Amino acid sequence: MSVDWARIEREFYQCNKCGLCLAACPVGKELLLEKYTPRGKIQLARFCRNGNLEITERLREIFAECLLCGACSVVCPSGVSLTDLFIAMREMLTSSIGLHANMKPAIESVKENYNISNEDNDERDEWAEDLEDLYSKVSHKERAEVVYFIGCVASFFPMVQSIPRNVIRILDSAGVDFAVLGGREWCCGFPLLGAGAPEDMKVVKEHNLEMVRSLGAKSVVFSCPSCYRTWREYYGTDFSLSHVTEFIAELLDKGRLRLGSMDGHTVTYHDPCDLGRHGGVFDAPRKVIQSIPGISLKEMESNRALSTCCGGGGNLEMTDPELSRRLAIKRIEQALATGADTLVTACQQCVRTLKGAARRGKIDLNVVDITDLVARAIK
Amino acid sequence: MLDGEAKAKLRHIVGPEWFLDSPEDTATYSYDAFLPEFMPDAVIVPANSQEISQIMSIANEKRFNIIPRGAGTNISGTSVARQGGVIMAFHRMNRILEIDVEDMCAVVQPGVVNADLQKEAAKKGLMYPPDPASMFVSTIGGNVALNAGGPRGAKYGVTRDYLLGLEVVLPTGDIIRTGGKTLKNVTGYDLTRLFCGSEGTLGIITEIIVRLIPQPPAKATLQAVFSDLDDAAKTVSAIVASGIVPTTLELIDRVVLDVIRDYGGAEFASEAEALLLIEVDGEISAVESQGKRIKGFCKQRGAIEVDMATDPEEADKLWQARRTAFGAVASLRPNCIVEDATVPIKNLPAMIRKIVELAEKYELKIGVLAHAGDGNLHPLIMTDLRDKDEMKRVDRALDEMYEAALSMGGTLSGEHGIGIAKDRFITKELSPKAIEVMRGIKRVFDPNNILNPGSFL
Repeated sequence: MSVDWARIEREFYQCNKCGLCLAACPVGKELLLEKYTPRGKIQLARFCRNGNLEITERLREIFAECLLCGACSVVCPSGVSLTDLFIAMREMLTSSIGLHANMKPAIESVKENYNISNEDNDERDEWAEDLEDLYSKVSHKERAEVVYFIGCVASFFPMVQSIPRNVIRILDSAGVDFAVLGGREWCCGFPLLGAGAPEDMKVVKEHNLEMVRSLGAKSVVFSCPSCYRTWREYYGTDFSLSHVTEFIAELLDKGRLRLGSMDGHTVTYHDPCDLGRHGGVFDAPRKVIQSIPGISLKEMESNRALSTCCGGGGNLEMTDPELSRRLAIKRIEQALATGADTLVTACQQCVRTLKGAARRGKIDLNVVDITDLVARAIK
Repeated sequence: MLDGEAKAKLRHIVGPEWFLDSPEDTATYSYDAFLPEFMPDAVIVPANSQEISQIMSIANEKRFNIIPRGAGTNISGTSVARQGGVIMAFHRMNRILEIDVEDMCAVVQPGVVNADLQKEAAKKGLMYPPDPASMFVSTIGGNVALNAGGPRGAKYGVTRDYLLGLEVVLPTGDIIRTGGKTLKNVTGYDLTRLFCGSEGTLGIITEIIVRLIPQPPAKATLQAVFSDLDDAAKTVSAIVASGIVPTTLELIDRVVLDVIRDYGGAEFASEAEALLLIEVDGEISAVESQGKRIKGFCKQRGAIEVDMATDPEEADKLWQARRTAFGAVASLRPNCIVEDATVPIKNLPAMIRKIVELAEKYELKIGVLAHAGDGNLHPLIMTDLRDKDEMKRVDRALDEMYEAALSMGGTLSGEHGIGIAKDRFITKELSPKAIEVMRGIKRVFDPNNILNPGSFL
């Protein structure tokens, strides 16, 4: 892949510099200076393209301070596709002066080990340790209707390994004919895009597609919104793709899953950027939450398409963990203002960012993935 | 001049991380929401008025320019370094210092975002009425410097009408206070209001006291569609003459309606030539009866559709067309010049006709949004800056548009300011003597002309 500058130039000439994006950008509001705002970054891209600005590490650093959350694109009155522009800039910067130092380990690991965690890819199933029978059933199938694609983060990070455990219990209890790929699952390639290194995407994409094909599956279900988005936008496949919240909502509709009461809980729901804003999935997770008797759902001040990123998008956790935490705290404050005791989301990365920040800040707020709730409520 | 010694002093005052002269920083403070860009020599982000006082003393001594900049959302080129110099940004002075419920006022720093003040005031049942379209981004400091208005202006007036007092650092480094928390204050010249709309040419505003009013308990929203612009204009006159003072009285012309329809923003009857969006607020009984009377005025004057809403969700739907208007227009061509020639209310239809005529004459795409309740038009020129020939025609159309507005007893700018956008027209509205007086005032405050020079004066 190489940057389509003709298209990107159209984007930055379309910017009116009105500045309305400044109100939507969590990074800009935190770092204050114009160069960190979406409008400022468009200006830098234009200067760079016109040869008026040198390509330096300083510039790479500025473009790394971005969640790629897309909130700016939603509020832009001129319809500028800012995230496309920012991804293109990262690609140009990486191809000119190399990977951002903090992104290197994960990106090199994807190339060498096919996962972001610098581990042997056969260790992908360590989350399944206490689920031996069920796991061995779904990981040794030769044919299945549905493949559950787990993603690197939920496979390797202990804080969120409950997610795949929940999902296989939920799918199993609904009688779904599904399989997981274990060590045959490779990173979807999403981190490569955020790092501006999309050329390695092809290898992982073709491998993953082949693995699903070899099982004769028709559908792929994801608990990771970013894997889901990557397959949808970059894989060009005819498989039916869905996020686990959509899949569960459908199982509930068909009466294949029944949920028991969880009285007395007030929860709020955080829209993951890749699921909501970028995937258009807003209703399914809310429907799933509200189908649990006794739970009451309160919305945060910013929600749905205008939701605020958890702070963990755009590889920011790698490049500026301190800023990532500050942004997470801001989002947690919005959740606390609803009076909810639990913050529910539908993304392992949002869980990690928000739960991590709440713990460090000693904030009394329970952060869970939506599959945690459903797994607990299954009758 | 801004030499090495001056730079070192500035760095020392604010700390190295808040004095910026990297190419990335100067590039991103070279613009506001108007068109031309000018690279500043540096950017400084002070934390308080003491630092600003020291900065101004050095600038005054060394004779380099300071250009104050809020969020850079103005569309008159008021916060760019036209003659070089240092951009002063107020990102760090963004605290609401006090919301005083007893005295119904707020004390804020200049970098506070308008919408944040509105939100905090609303928590205490109060309202800060000025609501420029940029309110989610623009700062109170910038609003004061440009005397910002907004759709609620027809009833509530503009920034000037809510300004009680200021703390200002003069270009010489002296700090003065004007006004205070009292509504009435006639001690000496009204310096508070002199700074309001001074476009950053007289002093650096470092603290602002604004008046707040009680939140109105109820609101009614109406949308009326007309197949004849004159009918819409007659309806505006009828509402104004009836003694009802609408909060909002917005008019959208055919060009903009067509653009909104094509954009998928909202649907209207194909013969629609004008749309009025009207809001009244106050006690619930008054709002209901006023809403019904306005509905009657619209129907009697030939409206082909009238909708009324009193609950927020329904009202939100009626705002849909107006809300998407700017986006629809801005998306059509690379650039959109938002003008704001303003005329007495009764001349609104004549002025709109003139704009339609100019669009045809100069082969331009110009739509009109108007705050019809106060005669403030927003001709929207959809264009492409890179097209030199078209830009010449835009300039000629603007010349004639201002001539027309002034000949009708109007003004060059209702709420956007003069800046570098309209400075060349200023002699058409102000007499040589009036300009001389203004220059004299400027000299008193800024003897060495270091504050935003090259702006409108």
